[in-house]
Amino acid sequence: METLDLPQWFWPALSLLLTVLWLATLLWRRRRPGPAETSLPHERVEAEDILKAAYAEEQKEGVLRIGDLSHRLELSERMIKRGMAALLDFGWVERDAEGGMRLTDEGKARAQELIRAHRLWETYLVDREGMSLDAVHAEAHRREHTTTPEELERLDAELGHPAWDPHGHAIPAPKCGVPASPGRALSGDVEPGDRVRIVCLDDDPAPLLAQLVALGFKPGVDVEVVERQPDLLQLRVDDHTVPLARAAADHVFAVPAPALPLELGRLPVGARARVVDIKGSGTRQRRMLDMGFVPGAEVTVMRRASLGDPIEYRIKGTGIAMRRTDANDVMVEELEDG
Amino acid sequence: MDSGTITVGVAGNPNVGKSVIFNALTGSQQHVGNWPGKTVERAAGSFTYQGREIRLVDLPGTYSLAAQSPEEVIARDYIISGEPDVVVDVVDATSLERNLNLTLQILELTDRVVVGLNLMDEVERMGWELDVAELEVELGVPVVPTVATEEEGLPELVEATVEVAEGRRSTNPVQLDYGLTIEGHIETLQEDLTRVGIEERSRWMALKLLEDDPEVVEAFKRGDLTALGLAAPPASAEALQTLLRQAVRLREGTRPDAKVEIVRRRYELAHDVVHRVVHRVRPEAESVTERIDRIVTHRIWSWPITLAVFLAIFWITIQGGEIAGGWLDAGLSRLIDGARAWLTRIQAPWWVIGGLVDGLLVGVGTVIAVMLPPMTILFTAFALLEDLGLLPRIAFNLDRPMQVLGSQGKQTLTWGMSFGCNVTGVMASRIIENKKVQLTAILTSPLIICSGGYGAGVALVIALFGDRALPVMLSLVFLSLGAASLATFVLNRTLFRGEPGGFVLEMPRYRMPKWRQVAWRALVDRVAHTMWRAVQFAGPASLLIWILGNLPPGAPFEGTAVGWLVRTLAPLGDPFGLTGEMITALLFTLPAKEIVVPALAMTYGLQTTLVESEGVLSALPQMWGPLSSYTFMVFFMLYLPCLVTVWAIWKETRSLKWTLMGLVVPLTTASVITFLVYQGGQLLGF
Repeated sequence: METLDLPQWFWPALSLLLTVLWLATLLWRRRRPGPAETSLPHERVEAEDILKAAYAEEQKEGVLRIGDLSHRLELSERMIKRGMAALLDFGWVERDAEGGMRLTDEGKARAQELIRAHRLWETYLVDREGMSLDAVHAEAHRREHTTTPEELERLDAELGHPAWDPHGHAIPAPKCGVPASPGRALSGDVEPGDRVRIVCLDDDPAPLLAQLVALGFKPGVDVEVVERQPDLLQLRVDDHTVPLARAAADHVFAVPAPALPLELGRLPVGARARVVDIKGSGTRQRRMLDMGFVPGAEVTVMRRASLGDPIEYRIKGTGIAMRRTDANDVMVEELEDG
Repeated sequence: MDSGTITVGVAGNPNVGKSVIFNALTGSQQHVGNWPGKTVERAAGSFTYQGREIRLVDLPGTYSLAAQSPEEVIARDYIISGEPDVVVDVVDATSLERNLNLTLQILELTDRVVVGLNLMDEVERMGWELDVAELEVELGVPVVPTVATEEEGLPELVEATVEVAEGRRSTNPVQLDYGLTIEGHIETLQEDLTRVGIEERSRWMALKLLEDDPEVVEAFKRGDLTALGLAAPPASAEALQTLLRQAVRLREGTRPDAKVEIVRRRYELAHDVVHRVVHRVRPEAESVTERIDRIVTHRIWSWPITLAVFLAIFWITIQGGEIAGGWLDAGLSRLIDGARAWLTRIQAPWWVIGGLVDGLLVGVGTVIAVMLPPMTILFTAFALLEDLGLLPRIAFNLDRPMQVLGSQGKQTLTWGMSFGCNVTGVMASRIIENKKVQLTAILTSPLIICSGGYGAGVALVIALFGDRALPVMLSLVFLSLGAASLATFVLNRTLFRGEPGGFVLEMPRYRMPKWRQVAWRALVDRVAHTMWRAVQFAGPASLLIWILGNLPPGAPFEGTAVGWLVRTLAPLGDPFGLTGEMITALLFTLPAKEIVVPALAMTYGLQTTLVESEGVLSALPQMWGPLSSYTFMVFFMLYLPCLVTVWAIWKETRSLKWTLMGLVVPLTTASVITFLVYQGGQLLGF
């Protein structure tokens, strides 16, 4: 076997190259801690958990201490220190003048986003998947780290912008006014008679927020615009009418409220509508469903009988006649013509 | 399965041509049988195809297999039972999306399915193009386009069925995705089911548990799954009940409602499939159905049209019945004369001649002569209207007035049929799926004057009232309608009190009736069957009447059994102004109302047989005053249905209780109304 005759510099050069590559990977990852990454390195999940704990601690105590965090997370101080180093790298915490730690604005935003994701997922898991309350935490925890902001907004919309999670914790609103938030300021172009659903309240200034909440303005609540004056809106919240200064309305963000479903029997001949829900239960409900009256199905009012009742509807290409009282079990939203 | 025999279940929505396919394939070998304990009929028949015997079972038409109605339970249980080697699902291609709801449910139960895509001619007419190959790919089972009425595509359908049955053609049914949540629950339940030893159809069972299917839930509650087609109970009752509790927990935690979501997902898939396979090649013009419906359900025009349709049918029934009845009568009297002459020549004893000829032959012959023509005409006419699609529109228009009585529009159809013949009315009640309304329709049908009673009644009324016959007859018709309405109203407030049944009715497209089908259904399926029963009842009954009128032999009228009956029954009629003769005569008309005139002749001692006679008609006005005459007519029109109707009620309800009610309701109503008429008439001084 022939011996390989390597030049003297080969091994040092290789070592140097590998070191540079290694450093490069480190630098590369630290430069781009994007939330859009799909496969998350393990450290990031841990770092985010520490961030949440740090956020909670700072909210409660006003300051951030390694000892308290270690106690809270049941981790050794050494581990916490390593974690904090990662947070520093992500730019989520910064050292203050005295050498202590405090959360940056970016860190606070990310922490709020995580909490929001966690609580929305808990709501989803309980409401839609029927998981029991005590079981949802772990699953929500797993999902919160991998949810992109876009997914989160979709989830929020699908759940109907809930204000509270199943444990009764408030779900933090998204940053109002930022593009991710679907709402528009209530002071904008609303007309008397409009029904809107509040999606977001500015948490700044804080006294205003407290006042708004006390008046019944909460994310997820529907309000009706009763009257519009130059500087004042009269709004119906729950059962009472509340005046809201235009300046304050700037801090309330809302989307058009989903149209209230109508009873099918109330539509005039020729109207088209989309089925939203079938009321009732048992055989009657089941029969309606099997006839094609399923949520999402389109239905047209064809004609009334000579004496006004029953009414014929066209659904899924078939004519079905039924009495108005039966048709009223079908909740629909009317569709515009065309 | 037997070697060489292939059993095929034919399933499908109502009104898609299942029976047409069935009849076309089985030809005349069809026979109608009953499912044990159920009132719903299924037909079974067989034919030979390339040396194999193929047995077809026509399942009741259903929109779903959700076990919410007897039809659905029957269709589903039959598919679950494993008896059919293949299920042929007949689908209305013009309403594919709705029909696929059933198809997808069948595919969840068995993978040995062939889809018969029927009414392809109408699809073409509507300007659609249907990609059959694509549909086959989407569903994963063979799809054969057919035009059943023209027998197009049937050989291919049979071929595909045989191929699937013999495993020469493999199927790979589409599996529905019910969404993350429900699929997760299904998986959980399937694991549990496997753990207790249930492998077969575990996905389907899990799904049904989540859907809160009454039959499946009941089976788990009892801890006995034999009803679900599992041979031996594989698990203990407790294990099954635990499983059920688990399912209930999962279901109750699911938002949106699992039941709704499952059907929604199914329709969603159906919608997507239709979107991919159906292409509109030319814009749909306003359909003929639309144009006809605008007139037929018009606020004003609908009334004269409905009235005209009914009047036309009755006019044809009565006119045609008279003419054909005349021929039959002529033939009958020749037959009777011939039989009498022949029996006399061979020196048969008087009681043989009397019993056979005057009893049996006259009775049976009269029933045939008076019932066969109107029944044939009526059945044909209604079968035509049914095929045309007009009957649902009539029910649609007449639903509102029926609501007032606590009933619904479809009951008017059974009444309409009852005007021709109560038997057909009772049998037509099948179209009403609401049990309570169906029973009301059955119990009130006998109060409607049938053409038999009407025919005999006209003769009597003319004899009794002369010039005033027309108003009297009209008042009787309205009285009969009023009595039926009254009985409906009262029944719905006493026996059937509670939640009023809804009214949901499919409005099919108008179709040109196919004569062959109509004739088959009217004549073979119904008339022949019903007439045979009529003969079975009329024979013994008229023999019995003859015996009563002639025993003991040679006795004077007062000494015969009839004379004794007249005397005994007389006190019963007092409050109603009825004599013993009248009541006995009415008893004699139980086989058929038409024999009322000869029956009266017998009870008044004018003759000893039921042979038609004119003498009594001239004698009656002298014996009865106007009030008596009218009371008798009222009671006669309402009191009891004929025996064949009673048999029909029994056949439809399969219950002694309701058959008895079928006698009690008309008798009570007739008694009340007659009492009021008689006492009122006396007070007014008639």
